[in-house]
Amino acid sequence: MIRSHRRLAAAIVIGASVAVVLAGCSGGGGSSSSSGKTLVVDNSFDLKTSDPARAFELTGSIVDKALYETVLTFKGSDVTKPVPGIMSYSESSDDKTLTLTMDGKHYFSNGDPVTVDDVVFSLKRVQAIAGNPSFLLDGVTVTKKDDKTVVLTTTTANPALPFILPNPSLGIVDSKVLKKHGGTDTKSDSAESYLNKTSAGSGPYMLKSYSVTTKVVFEPNPHYAGTKPAYSNVVLENVAGPTQKINVQAGASQVALDLNATQVQGLDSAKTNLIKGTSPYVMYLWFNQDSTIGAGVTNNQDFITAVRKSIDYSKILGLSGSGSTQPGGLVPSQFKGAIKPDSTAEFDLAAAKAALAKSGYNGQTVTFSYPNDITVDGLQFETLAQALQSQWAAAGITVKLAPGPIATVLDSFRAGNLQSGIMYWGPDYPDASDYLVFSPGQSIGLRAAWKDGADATVTDAANAAGSASSDDRVQAFATWQKAMNASGPFVPLVQPGQYVVTATSITSVPLNPVWTVDLASIK
Amino acid sequence: MTSLPSSSEVEQAASVSSRDGRRRSHPLLRYIGIRFGISILLLWGVTVVTFVLANLVPANPAAAALGDKAASDPKIVAAFNAQHGFDKPVVVQYFIYLGNLLHGDLGNSTQTHNPVSQDLAVAFPATIELALFAIIFSIIIGIGLGMLAALRHNRLSDQIIRVFSLIGISIPTFWLAVAFFFVFFYLLGWAPGTGRLSPADTPPPHVTGMYTVDALLAGQWATFGDALSHLVLPGAVLTLFTVGLLVRFTRSGVLDVLSQDYVKAARAKGLPARTVVFRYILRGSLLPILTIVGLAFGSLLSGTVLTEQVFNWGGIGQYAYKAATTLDLPAIMGVGLIVGVVYIGINFAIDVIYGFIDPRVRVQ
Repeated sequence: MIRSHRRLAAAIVIGASVAVVLAGCSGGGGSSSSSGKTLVVDNSFDLKTSDPARAFELTGSIVDKALYETVLTFKGSDVTKPVPGIMSYSESSDDKTLTLTMDGKHYFSNGDPVTVDDVVFSLKRVQAIAGNPSFLLDGVTVTKKDDKTVVLTTTTANPALPFILPNPSLGIVDSKVLKKHGGTDTKSDSAESYLNKTSAGSGPYMLKSYSVTTKVVFEPNPHYAGTKPAYSNVVLENVAGPTQKINVQAGASQVALDLNATQVQGLDSAKTNLIKGTSPYVMYLWFNQDSTIGAGVTNNQDFITAVRKSIDYSKILGLSGSGSTQPGGLVPSQFKGAIKPDSTAEFDLAAAKAALAKSGYNGQTVTFSYPNDITVDGLQFETLAQALQSQWAAAGITVKLAPGPIATVLDSFRAGNLQSGIMYWGPDYPDASDYLVFSPGQSIGLRAAWKDGADATVTDAANAAGSASSDDRVQAFATWQKAMNASGPFVPLVQPGQYVVTATSITSVPLNPVWTVDLASIK
Repeated sequence: MTSLPSSSEVEQAASVSSRDGRRRSHPLLRYIGIRFGISILLLWGVTVVTFVLANLVPANPAAAALGDKAASDPKIVAAFNAQHGFDKPVVVQYFIYLGNLLHGDLGNSTQTHNPVSQDLAVAFPATIELALFAIIFSIIIGIGLGMLAALRHNRLSDQIIRVFSLIGISIPTFWLAVAFFFVFFYLLGWAPGTGRLSPADTPPPHVTGMYTVDALLAGQWATFGDALSHLVLPGAVLTLFTVGLLVRFTRSGVLDVLSQDYVKAARAKGLPARTVVFRYILRGSLLPILTIVGLAFGSLLSGTVLTEQVFNWGGIGQYAYKAATTLDLPAIMGVGLIVGVVYIGINFAIDVIYGFIDPRVRVQ
């Protein structure tokens, strides 16, 4: 009896060992060349959903870019000019009407052709759901003109609309399929769970499997109208930064999207390639303009001038990694309308001390809040906050650091209850108009208690920029940002460096500030 | 001189006692019934505590879940709050939560947008699989080494085992996880990478949610091997810690029993060493060992957050981490509840096993 138990145990052990060896021999994951079919991309997930009308996270954009086509798109990394996607476009001279016309034949993954009805349904669905991305189409009326044409109209000029439409959240879904699974263009839509199992788009890939916490697997859409992607099996897996570094060097993944400046040091150049860039995220300082909260300090313009002049921007860039840059204004350096840093943001300790003396500041402690549980492209807020505290101390400004979880800091910041701090802004769409919310009385302006009417010069400049026609926009946004720098409560600080590490087998990874990476374009 | 009363003596005493006066149920059943009642009360307490703690966090779930632009739009914030019931008074929210809970509805996660029960049904089997792997090896190695150390008290092998146990307990699991991953995956290439399966491999047909079991049931040997090989590294990390714990408690428990008179008597009677060790020493020291096994298993089942995070395991620990960092209240409460159920369930099971192992317990 004992002997038979031993035999059984031995058989189990041998069987398990053979299975493990077989699994090892099968190559498992990560094996890939362009002909090897499988591409593994490592990303630190912030995924919530793959339903384009509800997704508005970085990972969600990568996923939806692979699954869904949009009416307009951007070519590669160039976000300065929208190009036709499913449709081509023309704008009225007053920027209030955008006419979209079907551009060639496009097909959903089940073989159905993409129609104007699908476009109208998809865009109206985004509006109706009132989810994270619905603000993209605020004030836009979507109308079918005929079987080839859709018209988007707004009551006020909206020259940014062609730059908004390439957002993957505005991906076009198969309305016939979706309606069978609870999809509507009303707020009662219930198709999300279906779309998290089965994609209904005309993009280069279809959903093979989907997990919010571990990985999303894609397979080619056999009816895709564009260029066939290089990889027939793509795995986007949720991996933390340090593990991504090990994976890509070991060949278990081919692309690592979330390594920071420290982690890219010491990479094995024989096994990996490093692509350096500048993050489209702008980290900025803000100072509350409410006299009660500001206590006569942060709501004093001379104090803010002292703050600006006492920052050693070159040292901040040194902390932010290779590829980081100092933005001249709030608009990121990659976008049309960006400006170079001007004299208001130059390190000048003597000028800082003079401005501080003029402000009447007499050593009051300023509370400086920031999130300590998130990073922006791997750059910690804590690092910047400590450097700033030390630099301001040299000018005579006393700052008390107040770190906290992003959920609590953001909540208090949005309520306008904090005295000062550092926060970041990522582009909702690659157009300077996305940054007008920093103006007096606008959503971000109000977080610094910068109310409507607080600064007529800035408000006038913002209005002019918002309504400027195409040719005048660059100048109008430059004027607005200079006015913000001269008298506003926001200090643009840094755009961190951004890094993508690839296996040497990868020859091309087109990055884009809207959807980070187009999986179908990786070669 | 102390010795354990025999089972039959205790049973007879209990039986006589039950015949006295009013008719009473079997002591073991009564014991189980009382423990079960206490467990239900504890479970209700868990719902109150998790709900109160989750709502004490000074932050707004809508602010945490919505993007900047969306959070600035009152219409979108109102829709979000209405969808998740956050627009109602907290007390009303609790009773709605409790009512839904009785129907198995834990609400919808604000992050994954799935029903929390559905998320937990996916995450929990992953953790169970890892925890079972770790606890089985921990019991075999930990109790074995603990007994060996005690039986060879103060000899070289005892000292070596004690150092090994100390190392297991002292090294932080997150460090060990990263170190194991770096050495055995990257440097040596002996183990596969992160996740429960290789990226190109597809999970077996769902039956239990444990990939090794499901692969076996489906006869997919390659997938079974792949899943098993992925279990090895995270399982080893967890095993090392649990083994360290078990060795110490087993050694100490066995040392206590070794000096008991009934063990000396058994040896004096000339019983074989194996009989003395397993029937007298191990049984006598089993209660404290069982307690620590239960607690260790509970700890493994309730999510080994950092290990799961490093190995991208997709279990309860990783789910809890994401829920906590994104202020996903329904998910936080769901995880809190399942952790409560795990601990209460394990304690209940241990209490019942106590009753079987030691008749004194159920009589008391």
